[in-house]
Amino acid sequence: MSESMNNENSRNANRKLIGLLGQFDDPGTLLQACHSAREAGLRKIDAYTPFPVHGIEQAMGIRRTILPFIVLFVGLGACGVGIGLQWFTNATEGWGLWSGYQFKISGKPYFSLPANIPVTFEIIVLSSAFAAFLGMLALNRLPCLANPLHRIPRFRSVTNDRFFLSLGADENGFDSGTARDNLNRWGATDVEEIWLDETDHRMPAFLKTVAILGLILLLVPPVMIYRARGMTSRQTRLHVNPDMDFQVKFLPQSLGPISPDNPKEFFFPHKRSGFAPVPGTVPRGKGMDDIEFKRGIQAGSLEDHQTASSTPAVLASSGSRQESGQQEGATEPETPAEPDWLTRFPASVDINEQTLLRGQEQYNINCAVCHGYSGEGNGLVNQRALGLVINGHAKWNTARSLYDPEVINQPVGRIFDTITNGRSMMGPYGSRIRPADRWAIVLYVKALQETRINSPQPDPNTVVAEAGDSESGTATDDAAAKSE
Amino acid sequence: MATTVDSLIDNTIEDPTRRAPLVTGGLDYDGVTDMVSAPAEEARPPRIWFVLLAISASLTGILVALIGLLFFKGVGVWGNNNPVYWGWPIVNFVFWVGIGHAGTLISAILFLFRQHWRTSINRAAEAMTIFAVICAGMFPGIHIGRVWVFYWLFPIPSEHLDMWPQFRSPLLWDVFAVSTYFTVSLLFWYMGMVPDLATFRDRSKTRLRKFVYGVLSLGWSGSARHWHRYEVAYTILAALATPLVLSVHTIVSFDFAVSIIPGWHTTIFPPYFVAGAIFSGFAMVVTLLVPMRAIFNLKDLITVRHIENMNKIIMVTGLMVGTAYSIEFFIAWYSANPFEQFAFQNRAFGPYWWAYLTMFTCNVFVPQLFWFKRIRTSMIWSVIIGILVNVGMWFERFVIVMTLNRGYLPSSWSYFRPSWVDIMMFIGSFGLFMTLFLLFCRFLPVLAMSEIKGTMTFQRHMAEAGGYDESGNH
Repeated sequence: MSESMNNENSRNANRKLIGLLGQFDDPGTLLQACHSAREAGLRKIDAYTPFPVHGIEQAMGIRRTILPFIVLFVGLGACGVGIGLQWFTNATEGWGLWSGYQFKISGKPYFSLPANIPVTFEIIVLSSAFAAFLGMLALNRLPCLANPLHRIPRFRSVTNDRFFLSLGADENGFDSGTARDNLNRWGATDVEEIWLDETDHRMPAFLKTVAILGLILLLVPPVMIYRARGMTSRQTRLHVNPDMDFQVKFLPQSLGPISPDNPKEFFFPHKRSGFAPVPGTVPRGKGMDDIEFKRGIQAGSLEDHQTASSTPAVLASSGSRQESGQQEGATEPETPAEPDWLTRFPASVDINEQTLLRGQEQYNINCAVCHGYSGEGNGLVNQRALGLVINGHAKWNTARSLYDPEVINQPVGRIFDTITNGRSMMGPYGSRIRPADRWAIVLYVKALQETRINSPQPDPNTVVAEAGDSESGTATDDAAAKSE
Repeated sequence: MATTVDSLIDNTIEDPTRRAPLVTGGLDYDGVTDMVSAPAEEARPPRIWFVLLAISASLTGILVALIGLLFFKGVGVWGNNNPVYWGWPIVNFVFWVGIGHAGTLISAILFLFRQHWRTSINRAAEAMTIFAVICAGMFPGIHIGRVWVFYWLFPIPSEHLDMWPQFRSPLLWDVFAVSTYFTVSLLFWYMGMVPDLATFRDRSKTRLRKFVYGVLSLGWSGSARHWHRYEVAYTILAALATPLVLSVHTIVSFDFAVSIIPGWHTTIFPPYFVAGAIFSGFAMVVTLLVPMRAIFNLKDLITVRHIENMNKIIMVTGLMVGTAYSIEFFIAWYSANPFEQFAFQNRAFGPYWWAYLTMFTCNVFVPQLFWFKRIRTSMIWSVIIGILVNVGMWFERFVIVMTLNRGYLPSSWSYFRPSWVDIMMFIGSFGLFMTLFLLFCRFLPVLAMSEIKGTMTFQRHMAEAGGYDESGNH
């Protein structure tokens, strides 16, 4: 009510007439009026209705909005972003501002489109929906809380049951009287002037500060998350429910559970949480008394070395495996820690055909993948690994040929130890093959070597010698060529 | 200017020569505005509203307290245990997210098909969607164990860690699907509400209401240019929401179908989940709207015809899920896979036979009552069947999840028992849902006024073209 009083009374210099507003009582009359206004050549017109009146776009000459194209382009962009995001984060590694992380899941490829479609689709829909909504607001210049129309009390019924047509004062040749006559002639039940009050058009100054502060505060959570994830801390992790750290369980050497029937008694008669080992149990690291059979080392020789414990000698140097592997390939100086390897089979191993066949079977299961069925070091894994090495995808020391002179000269204890504890890139098989079977494999390896050493065909030693000769021969040839 | 027919006219009669009126009671535009604004403008809402709010707010309080307990003690307070690690939380999640689907179907798919009867129910149904998705998202959200690092679900870069979500996991697809669904539904709902919020703004008497509704309505003036872009944007959102709603429950079903578990690893899951979601969602809309139209006196806008239409959809989708249940058994037999066959045999005749029987009765047999016109136009029956359908749909998800109780290893077989926290949290989620819905009824436009007015003009045009008067009579 007070606003309408203002409207009537204070027509000072700050107020400016920006148009006339005609009220109509039904959409049909409004539609006719829009037609008439357009036929009269008016362009600065707008209609206001409580619901979309169909046909008014044509009557007013409203061009079709470009909103669908905006949404289309945003959607296409989102498609690229969605696929790119998944490709970058899951299929690449090591470049960009933040590195991706290659997830190998169930041996599937790092990037496979079908599995990436759902997330891409959702990103497209989400972005397009925001584009449609925000695009609509932007094109309509909304939100616009200071609209001179909202100062007209009568205009409030535009959201209820009345229809309005405004004629803008910025029209060429606008005349308030003519415009009023026109609106009346077209069926307006009431005509009002629209005044723009420039004094109260501005936004309150504090709103700007509030908006900026709000935006800054919005940035705080993401920055905190970013910082928290990028930071290392020596503080104990904060746990709301540390039940994983402090579990209700029975520790060794403590009292056992209380009987569920009688709270004054223990569940186990001996009151302890643990039990004595079952008779015949061999604790880990024990039972290595027979070092000839279990470790391939001559009995009584270990006392000479400092490694009197049950730790295998080779494991002590496992920290420098890579290097030792290369050393082996080159000259192999006898390291002082090398124990006295057994040069004959232990007494408990029966040297017969049955053991040999057992050795062949175990060799083919465990060793042939790398060393090859014939022992030449050409197993499938070795071949594949060498292929990867060429492409730079892997590091690999070539599997030894069992006919390598060094291997041929190794004592059986040493071969047994290699199987048990591994060498260079070869892993330990001690936990997977029983000692008797390991000895059987050693026997089979020796038998394989024997086929080459004592076969009637060219003597492998001479072959090796010839190879060495030919190498030196080419070297001298080269030298000769250079000198020439 | 009466533009609608009298409420005495039965608008459920099918007459192919004329279009049945969707607004009754001789209402004009102003009458519609008054009727829809009344719940929000009354000085005191009806007493029943306070009673319901008190009950549901108490249940919400219990839910919040139990969530606190859960965070403090860990997920062990639930009954989830080997072999059913996915207990009630995922049952409730799928149940609630399914309920949401009817709202989007009504607002988007029926809009694209130009089903004008949707205008009276879409606002409330969309509100239901949003509140249901809030309840749905809550369950996996609090199930992640260490809730305080929830942001690991999202691809947020970090300075040194180089750790990202695993984008090929269905559980991650779920995060994206449900959060997108919630956001787009909220946008759609809010955008549809802007003109009606402007109506509230223009009718408000107090400064506070004027300010709040003024800001919320973004200065909407009803300009023809604005309406044009608004309608285009609305259609685009509907076109985006349509595949979205189908995708969301498809992706939810992937949680099960992508795993290699007998009884889960089936291609029928996506369509069967979507049909079930629409089924349960419509049942929930009917259950909510029948009391709402009575309490807030909206019977001339949400007419018997609207309820009847929804009941028909419930019947159709009920037949769809019934077909799916039967096909599952056929495929299990046809696969000749003994594990698959066992899984289904175990579902129907195993330790959870009672759940399967409840599910089958409520979802397949009960909706068949809607073949009788007297039942599908009866408000009491609609609510009873709507509730039964939702009981059945909850048990459907329960039955699916409980497939885990008898896996490949018979020594691990067990019988899942929920804890009291499970049960109270599920009841509490209804409290949260109802609290939000009651507040919506009181403070926001419960019906899409501007859309209803649009169909009233359409109805009048049709009447004029058909040669009968405005009251719908020849």
